[in-house]
Amino acid sequence: MADETSFTAFSAPGTAAITQGSLFGEADALGYDLGTIYDEMVTGNGRLRGHWQTFMSTLGPLDPDAMGVKWEEARRLLHQNGVTYNIYGDPQGMERPWPLDMIPLLIPPGEWETLVAGLAQRARLLNAVLNDIYGPQDLVRQGLIPPAALYADPGFRRVIHGIPVPGNIRLHFYAADLARAPDGRWVVLSDRSQAPSGGGYALENRAVITRVLTDALRHCGVEPLPPFFTAFKEMLAGLASWSRRPRVVLLTPGPYNETYFEHVYLARQMGITLVEGADLTVRDRHVFLKTLSGLEPVDVILRRLDADFADPLAFRADSSLGVAGLVEAVRAGHVVVANALGSGLVESLSFHSLLPAICRHTLGEDLALPQLPALWLGPGCDRAALSRQLDRLVVAPAFATSPERALFGGDLDEAGRAALLDRIAARPWSTVVQERPSLSTAPVWDGGRLQPRPLMLRVFLCATPDGDYTAMPGGLTRVSPEAGRLAISMQHGSGSKDTWVLSRQRPANLGAAGRTAHSDPRPPAARMILGDLPSRVADSLFWLGRYAERSEAAVRLLRAVYTRLVDGNQPGAATERGVILWLMAWLGMVPWDLATVGEAGGNRALRSALYAAVFDVNHPNSLRGNVQRMHRTAYTVRDRLSLDLWRVISQTVRESQQPTGPAPRPDAAALLLHLDDVMIGLAAQAGLEQESMTRGPGWRFLDMGRRIERAIHALSLMRATRIADAASLPEPEVTARLEVLLELGESFMTYRARYLAEPFTAPVLDLLLLDETNPRALAFQLSALQNHLSHLPQAPDMGVETAANIVAGARLALAAPALLQSPNALRTTLDRLAESLPEISNLVAHAYFSHAFARTA
Amino acid sequence: MRYRCRHTTRYDYGEAVPVSHHLVHLAPRPRPPGQTVHWHRLTVNPGAAVMVEETDYFGNPVSYLAVQEPHRSLDITAEMEVTVDAPPPFAPAATPAWETVRDAAVAVPGERAAEITQFVFDSVLVRPLPEVTAYAAPSFSPGRPVGEAMVELMRRIHTDFAFDPMATTVATPLAEVMAKRRGVCQDFAHILCGMLRGFGIPARYVSGYLRTLPPPGQPRLVGADMSHAWVSAWWGDGWLDLCPTNNRLADADYITLAWGRDYDDVSPVRGVIVGGFGHRLTVEVDVEPLGEDGYPL
Repeated sequence: MADETSFTAFSAPGTAAITQGSLFGEADALGYDLGTIYDEMVTGNGRLRGHWQTFMSTLGPLDPDAMGVKWEEARRLLHQNGVTYNIYGDPQGMERPWPLDMIPLLIPPGEWETLVAGLAQRARLLNAVLNDIYGPQDLVRQGLIPPAALYADPGFRRVIHGIPVPGNIRLHFYAADLARAPDGRWVVLSDRSQAPSGGGYALENRAVITRVLTDALRHCGVEPLPPFFTAFKEMLAGLASWSRRPRVVLLTPGPYNETYFEHVYLARQMGITLVEGADLTVRDRHVFLKTLSGLEPVDVILRRLDADFADPLAFRADSSLGVAGLVEAVRAGHVVVANALGSGLVESLSFHSLLPAICRHTLGEDLALPQLPALWLGPGCDRAALSRQLDRLVVAPAFATSPERALFGGDLDEAGRAALLDRIAARPWSTVVQERPSLSTAPVWDGGRLQPRPLMLRVFLCATPDGDYTAMPGGLTRVSPEAGRLAISMQHGSGSKDTWVLSRQRPANLGAAGRTAHSDPRPPAARMILGDLPSRVADSLFWLGRYAERSEAAVRLLRAVYTRLVDGNQPGAATERGVILWLMAWLGMVPWDLATVGEAGGNRALRSALYAAVFDVNHPNSLRGNVQRMHRTAYTVRDRLSLDLWRVISQTVRESQQPTGPAPRPDAAALLLHLDDVMIGLAAQAGLEQESMTRGPGWRFLDMGRRIERAIHALSLMRATRIADAASLPEPEVTARLEVLLELGESFMTYRARYLAEPFTAPVLDLLLLDETNPRALAFQLSALQNHLSHLPQAPDMGVETAANIVAGARLALAAPALLQSPNALRTTLDRLAESLPEISNLVAHAYFSHAFARTA
Repeated sequence: MRYRCRHTTRYDYGEAVPVSHHLVHLAPRPRPPGQTVHWHRLTVNPGAAVMVEETDYFGNPVSYLAVQEPHRSLDITAEMEVTVDAPPPFAPAATPAWETVRDAAVAVPGERAAEITQFVFDSVLVRPLPEVTAYAAPSFSPGRPVGEAMVELMRRIHTDFAFDPMATTVATPLAEVMAKRRGVCQDFAHILCGMLRGFGIPARYVSGYLRTLPPPGQPRLVGADMSHAWVSAWWGDGWLDLCPTNNRLADADYITLAWGRDYDDVSPVRGVIVGGFGHRLTVEVDVEPLGEDGYPL
């Protein structure tokens, strides 16, 4: 790197690193400085490097068609597995598809071992620095950390000072961003010590590539990834020496976090419970998980939440994501937080120029891995010297928590330069300057051929019980979207690559382990811990059931009305359409005036109202609105749903979307086909719920949601059709209402098979209200509810008993003799049930969801 | 002067609160210069399930309290007896030039960095503001003794800023106080800290009480006092306590509880309640001077 000595002109010598920024942050914008670049695959003479030969020969000919097929396969898998990332503040940002290139980055074993040894040393060093800063502060006393580097950094958490940690480990999980210099050496660009992200995406990349490049993976002999996470979890559990069966949880900021997918994925992979701050509570300086069966102790928290948000009592009071009292629980030694609160401090670039000296002092050895040359501008920076060199420097915030971005001096005009220099002069300790890194290139499949693209590699390490570090043999490789651009940011179209660490072992021994990413690697004990059902999750599952059922009801109504629009000449179609429109108006799906028109179909207002009832997201009772609510609710409990169930839900979301593009609005017949597809998706979802979920409390809440919703809906239909007063209506009108009720109640075939006749009021009502063997009948829902309520964990208040009494009372009312013969009795019963059944939902919510925190351990 | 102080914070909640957590800075620092603590005690009603005394990074006593049974109200009462001696006389003209103090503040040996250097940097509530620095600039003429600059700034704030309890809350940002030129003692202390730090002078935010004298001929009103805040500034060889609210150097009328970088570090009561909604807060402070014999005057 050209000109390191010139830095000494304005301050102490040192090396440091490149820009900050999250995995997806815009701040990853690096300048461009391709001189003699290093290519991962070919040498300067254009020859294939040795460790790529096996891979390229098993990949086969680089035929655009064959590669295209593989590429499609990879895309399909990523899509099906729901691999996504979110972008804050972007309404379209929920669930961007994850970009993965087909060609992995290959790293030979010798090179990997050298790299890992260097990173392990760096992790030990950073851990030692954290232990000193949050302990004796000898490094400050002895001048190795200038006071400004510590006290000006908002990442130094004073409340954490003096709190010891088990095993002296504060940095449990560490990641480094690396670039390869033209001479082939890996160079550290930046450190991740707060809550490193990307490990889960690396795992998922491997899972997909394993299925797409099965042969190549087997022949090359690639180190498997899952054992790393098993070791990580065991290390974490081992820190809770006080517990015989430690409970480890992963604390996520929630579904709106950019890497939420990964939190779900890692929790599954490691077999630990995924929790949000609201799921935890502190009592007697112990952390507890609020579950349906009460408070369960938590021993270790793997956090993906920045310290700032982790405890509103100790840190930001406006944070609603954290756990009040968490710091006090840590101080009392009752819980381990990994990484330790305050560990984000050493992400600050200010440390990079200090590390070489600290390393010699603390570990008695030199830093093994080079860092990108850069310099922390402490107090007393020489403005003139800086000004002379500004044009070729990147100016970056020194402290990791700074909202400012890195910028390149050469991009500034005169005024910008002056303003920047003034800003630096006022607070020189807030800035580092550095040279632009040189990135190596690797082949990317783009436009039907391989093209070189700049890359950065993130490698992950976890602490071991003996105080050393071990690496995940792989990593997350990110590539720039353009050959000439060094801006690597997932938000700006960058891609990712699987990273293969080639093994010294015989390839045959590795293949199987590498493919286990999608099987369940959890030991039996871990599965048991998953039995904890946080109250929040129960709440969401309950509403998932309700929204799913609500969506189904909407589809059935819409299908019924469109059928009669498409073929209006069937006998009775016009009358039945009138009945359906009346029901839809009653349920708030279309305006009342449409329901009372009753003319022959085809009028515009009717069609556009129905269209809105299908697609309009702002319509409170539209199909699309309900499907969206269902999807959002499902998203918050994604870790509780099987992969297939999630795929089916995602499919329904896509199917229920309004068609876009220049094509004209679909006609009624096309919409019917569309609605059929949505119905099939919803049916598949209901089927999977029955067939793929264990009958734990989670499933019970989901099913209760469905039963309550279905019961309420059935009652609404009965009351809206005034079926109790059928005797006073003309016969064709009654027949139309009964036909519609049978159709919406999915009971037409049963009725025909049973009665071989036109619908008559009493048998239809018997089938839809009283028949406990008909899964669409009201009595069936009540029976199921009674069963669920009797199997729920004990709740502290009387709400569940009251709910059970309501259900029992409803069953009794339906069993009243001659109910169907007395219009008055029937009408009164239906009205009463319509009033009492919705109350069950409130009682259950009150007992289990909102007041869970009020329980004692 | 010997004092007995009593500081009561009462929360009335809209509905029963199942759990509340509080961090309180309500015990006097054990040994600030010129101050002797005779005794102090903290009581909580309803009784706290957890009450732990700790010392924060700045050396202040801090207590963690947790009430874990449903409660509709919470009383936190701190009582103490302390003696405050009058500080030695201070000669502003005899202090070093402010540039000297500025340069030395970031160059002190590592052992004293926590004591001095850490108070020169930005903090959560005192962030860099060009208008604050610009306001202070006239007081920092080249080579001026730092003590003179401090005393002048204190006087200018007292003159230019109006004391107005209705103008601000604890959440009002510094920029707004600066723009309105009004606020209360916390705001003025933050402003003065920001001005001094803007020129590289270490400045601490001090939380405590001020003895108030009743108007001549009238009895002292019990519970009419308030929490107070002022600034402690580093002049090169010691700290000078300045009260911009009253344009006074702190003396035997000022009782120190705690100091930090700003209000956020040492707020008397900081709480999080879990569940419930809405609360009404009542604070009552009583500073009672005692005679030599320990009995009320």
